[in-house]
Amino acid sequence: MSKPSDLVQGTLDMLLLKILALEPLNGFAVSQRLKQVSGDVLQVSDGSLYPALHKLEQEGWITAEWKTSEAGRRAKYYSLTRLGRRHLEKEAESWSRLSSAISRVIKLKEV
Amino acid sequence: MRPEHWLYTIPLRLRSLFRRESVEEQLDEELRDHLELTTAAYVARGMTREEAHRRARLELDGFEQTKEKCRETRQVRVVETILQDIRFAFRVLRKSSAFTLLAIFALALGVGASSVMFSAVDSILLRPLAYRDADRLVVILNHGNGPVSPANFIDYRAQSKSFESMGAAEYWTPDLTGVDRPSKLWALHISADILPLLGIQPMLGRVFVSEEDQAGHEFEVVLSYALWQRQFGGNPSVLGRQMSLDGHSYTIVGVMPAEFKFAPFWATRAELFAPLALGARTTSRGGNRLRIFARLAPGVSLESARAELATITARLEQQYPGTNKDARIVPLKEKVVGNIRATLLTMQFAVAFVLLIACANVAHMLLARGAARTGEVALRSALGAGRARLLQQFLTESLMLALAGGGLGLLFAAAGIRALVLFRPADIPRVDGISLDWRVTLFTLGVSIATGIAFGVAPARQASRLDPVDALKEGGRSGESTRKNRTRSVLVVTEFALALILLIGAGLMLRTLRALQAIDPGFEPHNLLTMVVSTAASPISAASKSAGASGISGVPGPERSEAFYRETAERVRAIPGVVSAGFTNHLPLAGDLWGYPFWIEGRQAPMPGEEPDAAYRLALPGYFKTMGMQLLRGRTIEERDTATTELVAVINEYMARRYWPNEDPVGKHFAFDNPATAGAEKAKWITVVGVVKNAVRSDWAEPPEEEVFLPYSQNHGVGAYLTLVVRTAGDPGVVGQAIESAIWGVDRDVTISEVQPMEAVVARANSQARFSAALLAAFAIVALLMSAVGIYGVMAYAVARRRQEIGVRMALGASRGDVLSGVLRQGMAMALAGTVIGVVGGLILSRLMGTLLYGVKASDPLTFAGAAGLLTIVALTACYVPARAATRVDPMTALRYE
Repeated sequence: MSKPSDLVQGTLDMLLLKILALEPLNGFAVSQRLKQVSGDVLQVSDGSLYPALHKLEQEGWITAEWKTSEAGRRAKYYSLTRLGRRHLEKEAESWSRLSSAISRVIKLKEV
Repeated sequence: MRPEHWLYTIPLRLRSLFRRESVEEQLDEELRDHLELTTAAYVARGMTREEAHRRARLELDGFEQTKEKCRETRQVRVVETILQDIRFAFRVLRKSSAFTLLAIFALALGVGASSVMFSAVDSILLRPLAYRDADRLVVILNHGNGPVSPANFIDYRAQSKSFESMGAAEYWTPDLTGVDRPSKLWALHISADILPLLGIQPMLGRVFVSEEDQAGHEFEVVLSYALWQRQFGGNPSVLGRQMSLDGHSYTIVGVMPAEFKFAPFWATRAELFAPLALGARTTSRGGNRLRIFARLAPGVSLESARAELATITARLEQQYPGTNKDARIVPLKEKVVGNIRATLLTMQFAVAFVLLIACANVAHMLLARGAARTGEVALRSALGAGRARLLQQFLTESLMLALAGGGLGLLFAAAGIRALVLFRPADIPRVDGISLDWRVTLFTLGVSIATGIAFGVAPARQASRLDPVDALKEGGRSGESTRKNRTRSVLVVTEFALALILLIGAGLMLRTLRALQAIDPGFEPHNLLTMVVSTAASPISAASKSAGASGISGVPGPERSEAFYRETAERVRAIPGVVSAGFTNHLPLAGDLWGYPFWIEGRQAPMPGEEPDAAYRLALPGYFKTMGMQLLRGRTIEERDTATTELVAVINEYMARRYWPNEDPVGKHFAFDNPATAGAEKAKWITVVGVVKNAVRSDWAEPPEEEVFLPYSQNHGVGAYLTLVVRTAGDPGVVGQAIESAIWGVDRDVTISEVQPMEAVVARANSQARFSAALLAAFAIVALLMSAVGIYGVMAYAVARRRQEIGVRMALGASRGDVLSGVLRQGMAMALAGTVIGVVGGLILSRLMGTLLYGVKASDPLTFAGAAGLLTIVALTACYVPARAATRVDPMTALRYE
């Protein structure tokens, strides 16, 4: 498989927020989901994942709750907050503006 | 959105701050959880449990590191780390409490002592005088350091252009009567220019009108604030009231503000000012009693003023030979602090040394400890502490130490300043104004903090450069660079050198003090009470106002005053507890000193201006006996010397030896008139009837000069007061009251002032030397102790470090003696280096101390050798203890010690 691209921090935040927007997950599950959805293109090293999650929590965009999972073990579940949702919308919008601008430049026909 | 955002996050942050433990636990659990899940996933794919686990850990990029990174995302991290550091530092410092206390104390001593000393120097030497533009004020003197005659003052003022204004002041001690307790006041006759020249406005009323309009204004006075408070209770309606001074009525026209003090030297106790009113004296070129104060005109330099004065005095000297020798202009500030400069500068050096030693001590204590903690540092960096984090922690520790030391030092400084003001020697000027200078305090605090930081952080910086593996392996005792060793040795050598310099200084001062105290004053100061008795305000003096011989008011009618003094002496002698009593004009050391030129009969007259000068003393019969002065030849002044008998005098040994070296001076003649001008027959020749041993005159340590004692009965016309001296059987203070009653029993209107035992006068004469000696000795002892502690610390540490090596050596056959001498040699080498440097430094310091020393050379070998010897003994002792500990090392334990 192709080498996972390096993710800029801000982009990583946005991706994590989006994943958590779909449903509350714990850290392990977030990393699995990201790999899964992006077809293994996007992989976050675990060493970067948790600091990122904690930072998002400090910013107030996600909130954490300890829940007992089905297997009976305790796990820390993150979910998106209202603030986080608004932030995500903003980021997603500026991301699509950025990416369409880049696409436009790239698609220029060479003469 | 933002405020909402903050509102939400604040509880979160506070929670991570205050519920740290549970937050930590949760973080741990979360990551552990993750590991479990990852491991399970790999196991499911077919790996073994161990391999899966290892893979999972690798993916996590290090468990502790990740935890640390998560922690760092928490924004309160900074505050959290600081709190954590403070708590840790506290624990560390408390564990090694001996070290901590020593370091804090050393720093506090250095900071405190320096703050006090620099504040004192600043307020005494550097702060400007409390007058307007005080740098432009100068004093004009004649005959080197002496006062000026009225005619010269008038001429200088008229003929010079370098000065914006010039005024003169004359010492005056009037008797205040018409109050409950008549007393003598300290005052000045000042010319009208003086107060405007100084630029200080009166608080109440006005100052004097200008010279030209003097008529009718001669009997006005301006009060000082202190006198106004003391005598009139600060009553604002004091203007226009009358005061009776020397029997005359004076009107109060003004009061000066509280901060005003004049003159700043010589007449420092003046609290009353009256106009100068020279009158007929304006032509007198003889009586030198004025001090001239002047303000340089704008743009005029001191040099050009001096040049101009030289021209003027040369001209005057031509017109009136012998009257204008060696006129000088001295800046006022210089006159005030000049003679104290040497003392203060010496003290400043001493204190700077103490501060340096304190910092050096703290520095190498920190270094030693830092080296011992290399292991700890290595471990912590292996655990994930970043360099910044380590530095931050060590910084916190050093800062806490430095701040504690500095804080305590401030307390020391405040106490020190209070002590200084309380115990100050009398002749150090401007001591009342000493307060803790915040600039100085900041500086010394800064120095101590800088030391703490520089040397406290060094181990962290050093250790972070090491390979943690090596550092951990050798149990934390590697990383001993030779550079660090050398730094420590240099520090110790410096400490020793400084301590030796201080010891030398103290030794020299102590010898000076001994020499000063060994001086024979020529009289017996114990059990001797003195006081000034003045008849200026009593009817005795009024009797001769019309028959006045000179322009000085209050001169008593000769017979009446003599009768008064004789009667008083009789009554005082009759008091139980009194052994003898006598009168003189001025008390040695404390009183004024008059000098007059004299001519010896039959000798060739000297050049004008070159006549010898003799100190002029009056005495009533009984004076010499009371003072305990030793008669060498002939007789003293006795009852038989009256106004009608032959004029006689007693001279001192110096004068006898100088002018009659090979003959008996008794029977020879001299006069205070110049026989050339008065005519050899008209000159009033005085016969020498006795010779007494030399006595001190105005300065304790001055070399002897000519002194002449004349009978009061034959020489009245020079003042309305005499000084009574009483020899008591026991403590002089006991009979004081009785004596005063006896005096007032003769005449109620005389004033009694300056009641003091002679011992106090003598003590005051030496006070500056005593003060310097005590202070220097104290500093030297402190410095010595600190350096001893320093070298002990270094040696002990070195020994502890080389325990293994010592053990090996002993196991291989080295004797205890060898080990001991090895360690001692190391320490003594440092002490020797310090001694050499110290001796050189000591020579420089003693040169600086020059004027302070008496009776001992600046390079006195005894003092130097003694100080060096003392230092060597202390160094030996300080080395010996750890050296002995080294020999006690059991080779087996040492070899096993890790």
